[in-house]
Amino acid sequence: MKCEEFDAIGLDAERDASLSELERAAAREHASACSRCAALQDSWQAARFELKGFADSTAAAETPARVEMRLRQEFRTQHGTMKTRRVAVIAAWALAAAAVLAAAVSWSNWRKSQQEEAARHLAAPQNSALAPAQNDGAKTNGANLQNGAQPGFANSASAETLVADNELRNFTLLPGAVATEEDDSAIVRVRMQRGALGALGLPVNEERAGEWIQVDLLVGDDGLPQAVRLPQQ
Amino acid sequence: MRIPEPERDDVLLRRAAKGDEDAFTLLYRRHQAAMCRFALRMTGSAWAAEEIVQDVFMTLMRAPKKYDSSRGTLGGYLYGIARNRVMKHLERLPREVSLEQKNEDGSGAGIVLQDPATPAIWAETRERMKHVRAAVLDLPAEFREAVVLCELEELSYEEAAEAAGCPIGTIRSRLHRGRALLLAKLEMLRDVPRRASVAR
Repeated sequence: MKCEEFDAIGLDAERDASLSELERAAAREHASACSRCAALQDSWQAARFELKGFADSTAAAETPARVEMRLRQEFRTQHGTMKTRRVAVIAAWALAAAAVLAAAVSWSNWRKSQQEEAARHLAAPQNSALAPAQNDGAKTNGANLQNGAQPGFANSASAETLVADNELRNFTLLPGAVATEEDDSAIVRVRMQRGALGALGLPVNEERAGEWIQVDLLVGDDGLPQAVRLPQQ
Repeated sequence: MRIPEPERDDVLLRRAAKGDEDAFTLLYRRHQAAMCRFALRMTGSAWAAEEIVQDVFMTLMRAPKKYDSSRGTLGGYLYGIARNRVMKHLERLPREVSLEQKNEDGSGAGIVLQDPATPAIWAETRERMKHVRAAVLDLPAEFREAVVLCELEELSYEEAAEAAGCPIGTIRSRLHRGRALLLAKLEMLRDVPRRASVAR
């Protein structure tokens, strides 16, 4: 071993685990043969002794208790905040999920009711359909009819007011009624006792006066029935 | 001695990451002294050492998942963090003189020894420690780190390399140069009082 090598690895050869036993022996041999390196090693041993003293004097160094307290406080704060944040996130997700579920159920119900309505429309007899344009008028006129235009007739008629088709065929003009413009009139299907037809001035078979029948009424814009029709059952 | 599984550093750290304060406290108590010694020997300031240790454990608390047990020990990882903090501290205050180490007359208080045998020995040892401390603190940071880790902390070269985040060869060469500088400084510091007494 040369002096440069001894400088580099020889001083700590006994401690350096990465050196082989052969290298350690070479370092020992060199230190015993070379007075310069032996002096260097002695000098280093003395310095190491002093370093050891320095290390011992600071060996008991510890951080003050306040550091632990500060850290623990910070730990609690941090994990408390994290917990709160986690709860808030979970709550937000739960609310969002509930909203989505409610929307899905509502939509499903709406779809179901739409389908049921469509099926009912398909199943209903063709003459139960009403043109949308006349629907409002029919309701209005029907209401007028029930609100006292013909009290006797309205009272005897059933509360059920049905919608009639808008064909004007087979209507019989009521006695005393004056025919008006078709556009101003509405057809209202009502359910009434046959005897109530007498109030409209029509002849009634007294034996069947209590029988319930469906009648289409042609109601003018004044709310009074102008013509009547007995629809085909 | 083999540490039981529930008390292993990585297990404790996992528990701490889930909010277990006791696990974190245990980790802190296990490693704080070594971190404090290292920081104190590197900076020469108890105040700085306290700040650095606090910083190290704050970092561990905030990002426990950054530690990968497959890459080394938690101690080595903490040394790495402490080292970075120390280097930052030294860069920021390259010539900081610790106030708490000074007496009222401006002289250094030195190291308080545990067992002063006689006043003469106490004074001599104190003087010697003052020199050693001054010599160590006067080393360039990288060499000082190698000396502190290998000579004062008595870590193996492998452990020192892990803590410093460099290869073993680098630690060896830094230690070699650090020793040479330290020897020169110690010689110089020993000679100053001698020269002063000769002059008198």
